[in-house]
Amino acid sequence: MTRISLEDLQKIRERKEQEDKSYKAVLLVCSGTSCSTSGSGNLLTVLRKEISHRKLSQDYRVEPSACIGYCSRGPVMIVQPEGILYEKVKSADIPEIIDCLIAGIPLERLCHKDTTTDNRVPLLKDISFFNRQQFIVMHNKGSAVPAGIEDAIAGGAYQGLAKALMMDKNAVITEIIKSGLRGRGGGGFPTGLKWQSAARSAEEKKEPPYVICNASIIEAEPHLVIEGMAIGAYALGASEGIIYLRREAPQVSARYNKAIQQARESGLLGSNILNTSFSFDIHIRSSAGAFVSGESSALIASLSGLAGEPTAKYIHNSEAGYKGKPTVINNLETWANIPAILERGADWYSSTGKSRKSSPGTKVLTMTGDIVNPGIIEVPLGTTLREIIYDIGEGLADQGQLKAVQTGGPSGGFLPVELLDLPLDYESLSEAGSMIGSGNISVISHKTCIVDTVRYSVSYLKDESCGKCTPCREGLIALSGILNRITSGQGKEGDIELMARIAESMQLASLCALGQTAANPVLSTIRYFRSEYEQHIRDGKCSAGVCKALLYYLINDNCTGCTACARNCPVQAIAGEVKKKHVIDQDKCIKCGVCYEVCKLNAVTVQ
Amino acid sequence: MIEIIIDGKKIEVAEGTTILDAARKNGIPIPTLCHRSTVEPYGACRLCIVDIREGNRTRLVTSCNYPVRKPVEVNTQSEKVRKTRKTLLEMMLSRWPNVNLIKQLAREYGVTSASYTHPLVDYSSNACILCGLCVNACSEIMWEDIIGFAGRGENRRVVMPFEKHYDACVGCSTCANICPTGAIQMTDDPNHPADDKRISRYGARVTDEVALYDIEQCRMREVGTAHLTEIMNDYDLLPTCNYKFGSHDEAGKLHSDVFKNKYLTQGVPDGCWLGCTMACAKVAEHFELKTGPYRGEKVLVDGPEYETVAGCGANMGIFDPEFVLETNFYCDTYGIDTISFGTTMAFVMECYEKGILNKERTGGLELRFGSAEAALEILHQMGTGQGFGVIVGQGIRRLKKIFAEKYNLSQQDIDFMQDIGMEAKGLEYSEYVTKESLAMQGGYGLALKGAQHDEAWLIFMDMVNNQIPTFQDKAEALHYFPMFRTWFGLVGLCKLPWNDVEPVDNAETDEPAKVPKHVEGYVNYFSGMTGREIDKKELILMSERVYNFQRVFNFRLGFGTREHDRIPYRSAGPVTDEEYESRAERYDKQLMEKWNYDITGKSTTEKREYLRKSREQDYQSLCDAVYRRRGWDENGVPTIEKMKQLKMDFPEVIAVLEKYYSSYTARSS
Repeated sequence: MTRISLEDLQKIRERKEQEDKSYKAVLLVCSGTSCSTSGSGNLLTVLRKEISHRKLSQDYRVEPSACIGYCSRGPVMIVQPEGILYEKVKSADIPEIIDCLIAGIPLERLCHKDTTTDNRVPLLKDISFFNRQQFIVMHNKGSAVPAGIEDAIAGGAYQGLAKALMMDKNAVITEIIKSGLRGRGGGGFPTGLKWQSAARSAEEKKEPPYVICNASIIEAEPHLVIEGMAIGAYALGASEGIIYLRREAPQVSARYNKAIQQARESGLLGSNILNTSFSFDIHIRSSAGAFVSGESSALIASLSGLAGEPTAKYIHNSEAGYKGKPTVINNLETWANIPAILERGADWYSSTGKSRKSSPGTKVLTMTGDIVNPGIIEVPLGTTLREIIYDIGEGLADQGQLKAVQTGGPSGGFLPVELLDLPLDYESLSEAGSMIGSGNISVISHKTCIVDTVRYSVSYLKDESCGKCTPCREGLIALSGILNRITSGQGKEGDIELMARIAESMQLASLCALGQTAANPVLSTIRYFRSEYEQHIRDGKCSAGVCKALLYYLINDNCTGCTACARNCPVQAIAGEVKKKHVIDQDKCIKCGVCYEVCKLNAVTVQ
Repeated sequence: MIEIIIDGKKIEVAEGTTILDAARKNGIPIPTLCHRSTVEPYGACRLCIVDIREGNRTRLVTSCNYPVRKPVEVNTQSEKVRKTRKTLLEMMLSRWPNVNLIKQLAREYGVTSASYTHPLVDYSSNACILCGLCVNACSEIMWEDIIGFAGRGENRRVVMPFEKHYDACVGCSTCANICPTGAIQMTDDPNHPADDKRISRYGARVTDEVALYDIEQCRMREVGTAHLTEIMNDYDLLPTCNYKFGSHDEAGKLHSDVFKNKYLTQGVPDGCWLGCTMACAKVAEHFELKTGPYRGEKVLVDGPEYETVAGCGANMGIFDPEFVLETNFYCDTYGIDTISFGTTMAFVMECYEKGILNKERTGGLELRFGSAEAALEILHQMGTGQGFGVIVGQGIRRLKKIFAEKYNLSQQDIDFMQDIGMEAKGLEYSEYVTKESLAMQGGYGLALKGAQHDEAWLIFMDMVNNQIPTFQDKAEALHYFPMFRTWFGLVGLCKLPWNDVEPVDNAETDEPAKVPKHVEGYVNYFSGMTGREIDKKELILMSERVYNFQRVFNFRLGFGTREHDRIPYRSAGPVTDEEYESRAERYDKQLMEKWNYDITGKSTTEKREYLRKSREQDYQSLCDAVYRRRGWDENGVPTIEKMKQLKMDFPEVIAVLEKYYSSYTARSS
């Protein structure tokens, strides 16, 4: 592989563009995790075979694409340059797709159907799931996974680095400060200021700083991350960078290793990058996979060969981090934002975003729960929860009604329907008792019991707490115990107050962000859904019908004595003669709900 | 200094001081569970939280590890703080309802009973409260990681690797001693001490002192005894060029920091005695040898200690740390003592410079001061039984005789060798210049087994700390310290933790030289181990019996009288004019002030000779005083009364001594 110089970048782009023009179209099959599990791999093979069989390889290129995020519609296929999107494509559809391709028309029946107008929407950019999104980090959505470094460059990679290398180091930092970019790992600390403070410490101490990418949260185009880190390293005077990956994702590690190798071979990493005097290299390190190792001091401990446990300290990593040297740890998404800021300028970046000036840019979100369009999206900060859930997500699945939305992952707060117009930004969510956190938006319908869901979140956090500090360890054990009691019908007066007191002490006194935020689910639901706790405790009722201990099955007068329920009951809790009304023995009943499901006469009811 | 406010009180603190330290120093209490000054702040129990305001920002921080870097206003008792501490204690009490420490703290915050049923409730009063002190002490104080935490969250627990007993644990008891609840207990089955608690109590004090003050007082944990090199050089006590001088311009090259930064492995447990907090035995790893049978190989060098640095460095006029390490390695490998080698070589080199030796006599080696290669060649010859090394290897006492006879030396040369051959009773001097320390001259000359510092190491208290200024003080010291140090040999304890790292208030005690608090510790170790109550006087008495018996043993072998307590003059004063002139101001002043000697118009030689007479007389007077104090007669023979008093008047013993009483009496009459 030959080394690439600054001048080569533009040439490579132009050459690749020419190459692309020689094709009539590029057929992309989404290779994201969700599409892969629904058979996109096979689809790709069949498509390639068919194209080659029809001797069309000269005209049509077939490539896997990066994740489109439209996970509920997979496998998804895109036809470029038009940008036609086909949903739920099967191998059998392929001949017809190719026929339409040759004919130059979209295959209507595979196009997205708008839920409100019932019209078919062939183009990706017109689909409501996409048209409210803005792609900075995932700017290559809908284009091919770059096979080599030249494809990556053609896709726009390393332009920002090229620009940065022509600038003064401090000017790069100033540019990042001006852009207003804030840490996407959850804390929202201004990235430029973090860099500035590390650069200052490095200068004062005369020690080389480190740049670290905390890649525990999302996956993005590896070259974008490499480029972002290289820009950071240049600005800070660092020569060594580390990408800290979770061990559970070996395929991600392989992708990053490949990209790093490509970059090294082309002189985009290593000595004299782009033939300048700047040298920098990146290594990949894997974590043992604990949730808490995403916390920066735990990450440093893990990198140092210790257990991934947070360290109590008030000296920032920017002053003394990895190996005691000034260190900038940014989240993967933060790094992925850097190239665009350099390439397009801080003024452009700071003008993006929708609400507050303090939150420019976009946020990558994973949308889960009871929603029509679960998936991975990127929206301008300031987009309201309502737009996210109803416009992009197309509302609740299975005719559900929205009850709450939990933002920020397991330690995020639960927000009620009344707060749907809250813009998604750091301050608004934090004031409301939640956070952006990991960028998860979990949509919760009326069929879900809030207390039970909080119990689940708390129990997850309890298992993930490292157990080092008292409030997090003991607080989560206590909260988990109390919530278990409440959901099993043994709640007591005073439990809510006790939980609030414990959660507040966790928030105030925990050693790291895990413990501090672990209080959110409890505190936010006491704030917005207190009555549901009270119902469980005082009335012994779970209105969502989820907490088994609080519900029982009854047989009403619709019963004709068909014996279906009695025959299917696994514990013989139903007695009754043929053609006579049956009765459930509540002491024996295990509340499995089989009777409810087998009864065709609506004779079994849940109370 | 930064001015901060704690609970309304203005306090000046040095930058980097933690809020907890600042508060406690000013009598403001803050509760803690996981904090001890001997280990780094851990910040796990969170009880030490305080409310701080920095500018417009207020927040709760843990005071144990919050360093003051700018003015800050601290409230240790705000409502938020008290409420949070109370909830923390409520949770702890729910899990460990019978741990006294928690009960007591909880009571202070109005919590007297558990507020919920804890699924992991542990009713033991010795429950482990996961404070981490044991784990951190094992790691930070002992540089071991025998115990650690396993499991996350509710499964967190303190374990040895794989939750099995780990043989690498030597039972140093540091974890047990630091444990605030007694969850870790020491059992000492092999030694079955009479009162193990008593031993632990005093042992833990030493551990704490070393962990806290070694870094300020000695830095033995970093560089071992080699920290002395620079101190000795500063006080003109570092032997250079066969004890001619006490300091050298190039001594900085042998500074302990050079060894620490470039050669000595840091932060690993002690190689001399696993479990020792002081951990002064150091090693240099991956050291590449340049000479000898292992040339080119990378080896581990055990050391160097101070004596090796001084003897196999400065005293030969060689200021090269790699020479020190190479010599250290080969001495160890050949089984040669580095002190004897260093001092002997220094003598040989001075003989060469003086012309007593030459290339012809040394087998072609130019053995001047500073000749590192030649010195190593002699060492290899010594080790392999070849060449001139075979002669040198016999030691100074024999060399003086061999040289005199073999080379047919003049009386002047023979006398010169007598003055500069640094041995007493046939043993080479260890590495201290004693010219200005009469006490240490006695320490060397009166030592039963020859001139080494193991018996009375008085140089520090005499010259550095100035703790024994008067003649009587020195005589008393030469009675007490040899006895006290002999006691370590009797019971098998190391001397270093006695008076190297000292309690901070040692200087304020009535007898700082003896380190009274440590003596108290040793008395307690003895009684705790044996169950026999003794006091510090009896401790000395035990040694006196043995010490006098050793003296008797010397007599049996034909040594032990006053004439054998003689020392070479170089250890008492300047032998040559060159030496005198190098410190002329000091000697002139002493001649005038101490001896009332008029130096006007006197030549260096005249002054030097007067000084010699005076100092030699001083040494004899010291011997008189020491003999008296030890209960010996004027010839240094233990009197019958003394032996009776010690209950050592066994007929066989008295029979040995009687010969000496009569011969001395006969001669003096």
